Amino acid sequence: MPTDPPPTMNAPATLAINGTAIDATFAEAFPMKATRLLITAHTPVWAMHAANSLTGFATSVIGCGCEAGIERMLTPDETPDGRPGVAVLLFAVSSKELAKQIGRRVGQCVLTCPSTAVYGGIDAATSRAPLSDRAPLGSGLRFFGDGWQIAKMIGDTRYWRVPVMDGEFVCEDTAATVKAVGGGNLLLLARDLDAALAATEAAVAAMRRLPNVIMPFPGGIVRSGSKVGSKYAGATASTNDAFCPSLIGLSPRSELSAEVGCVLEIVIDGLTDADVGAAMTAGIAAACEFGRAGGMLRISAGNYGGKLGPYHFHLHELAAGLDGSRA
Amino acid sequence: MSMSMSTTLRVKTAPGFRVDAAALRPLALAAMSAAEIERIVLPAGNERCRVGDVFDVRRGDGAATLAGDDTPTLVIDGAAQWLDRVGAEMDGGCLVIHGSTGDHSGFRMSSGVLEIDGDAGHFTGCEMRGGRLTVRGNSGDFVAGALTGDMEGMTGGTLTIHGNAGARLADRMRRGLVLVGGDAGDFAASRLVAGTVGVAGELGAHCAYGMRRGTLLLARRPAHWPATFTGGGQGFDVFWSLLVRSFAAEIAPFSQWRTDRLPARYTGDLAVDGRGEILIAG
Repeated sequence: MPTDPPPTMNAPATLAINGTAIDATFAEAFPMKATRLLITAHTPVWAMHAANSLTGFATSVIGCGCEAGIERMLTPDETPDGRPGVAVLLFAVSSKELAKQIGRRVGQCVLTCPSTAVYGGIDAATSRAPLSDRAPLGSGLRFFGDGWQIAKMIGDTRYWRVPVMDGEFVCEDTAATVKAVGGGNLLLLARDLDAALAATEAAVAAMRRLPNVIMPFPGGIVRSGSKVGSKYAGATASTNDAFCPSLIGLSPRSELSAEVGCVLEIVIDGLTDADVGAAMTAGIAAACEFGRAGGMLRISAGNYGGKLGPYHFHLHELAAGLDGSRA
Repeated sequence: MSMSMSTTLRVKTAPGFRVDAAALRPLALAAMSAAEIERIVLPAGNERCRVGDVFDVRRGDGAATLAGDDTPTLVIDGAAQWLDRVGAEMDGGCLVIHGSTGDHSGFRMSSGVLEIDGDAGHFTGCEMRGGRLTVRGNSGDFVAGALTGDMEGMTGGTLTIHGNAGARLADRMRRGLVLVGGDAGDFAASRLVAGTVGVAGELGAHCAYGMRRGTLLLARRPAHWPATFTGGGQGFDVFWSLLVRSFAAEIAPFSQWRTDRLPARYTGDLAVDGRGEILIAG
């Protein structure tokens, strides 16, 4: 693990794009376990229904067990069974928790959804993320078949065929999982809510065009950024008062100048640190298109002093080379 | 092991008795010199013979390999039905037989590619566990089956017979894929535990007798229809799609089947587990 210089949250910005200041700080991210599932269905609509349901209530591992999101739509020639589909990514803090979340979510949200089938979406031969355990998929869900289920090896892949009321629910026996990266983030500081929403929405849209990443919060955006710890015993996280505009001049930790009216955060989970970094770069570029003139004042990132997470995404490194950047 | 790790054994004179070729495994021979290979002793019933007595041994004579340049390849040229247990317990590499083979070709092979130009005897791919075995001609009885008294036949891999197969095709098979381009004899897929068996041509009597699970794929309705199968319902199109797509590189007619043309499905054998299926495509 590289030794970083001490955090420099209050250091003056030395980089700006279109007048938007880029803080000399870094986002701190953590190892997670992740998998990709491919959900197919008779029509894209029903694949999306299942994917939306499976990735629902999966914004943060703090309260949801996992962080999940839709990676992209799949055309019929990209899926194992030749039907339209959706690729989803799930991230959890451990292999055990990931397996639990896969079992619950696929069991309640995909098995139940008309015409769907589900397959592992990590290709062990080409994955750039290091492989981890294989998580149970059909091997747990098969018991729903009450003895009528059949395992079927096709090539080197074992599938389960579970009789359901619209035919058969077909799913792969297990899904490969990988060692992934969670908690990459950007803090977008804007003049007001309109400017902040416009910039973050554009940033999320740019990130969604990239593979291997999800932005797990509603619309990809989170307004309740948190810090570690609380004044209350038993709360492990609490509001990030340093970035709350209503606490300017009140909280001793405030990082905001008086012109900042709204801060929104984008959290990024990716299969590798390179994927997270690429998404952050795309987000910075998209947000900076608005520039200071568009109310996009500053971009910062959240970290814990660099001592907790092994992945450090320095904003200046990510923004280097973007059009219009100048020291 | 760079390119052309190939060995060719050319039959000099037929020995006049049956020879057990199980020791002639591509990976094992790739690590030996030609002189060492010539000194290998092969069992031959009550006799024994040295490889050098029966075969001319040549190294790396540029024979085209099937699976890429760095795969150890063994070619047996001029083989005939006196050569038993070709590729038995084979664990990798590529074994090409120009000619025909005797019994137990590919017996319990676990990996690698075994290609037989001509015909194979009985028990071809018997208790096969993995890899790919192809017979361009016909094969005898008990293809992909079990040894007498053993519980399980083939448990993995892909076995293709371009011609006809004899009786008891895939008897007690449990996993893997068997495709027969021609006809199969009596008791095809009998006592099948699981796995996939395809037959393009005619079937003898008693097909799928005692079949518990697994899939018997047919291109036409058999002349002798088993009484203990029932019309097998609908709603298996996702499975059919996965299966047919996996046949893209296999022999016709299986490779030409379409995902959007569902076969007629029958399930059985109801006298036993009854979760097996006969799918009649086309």
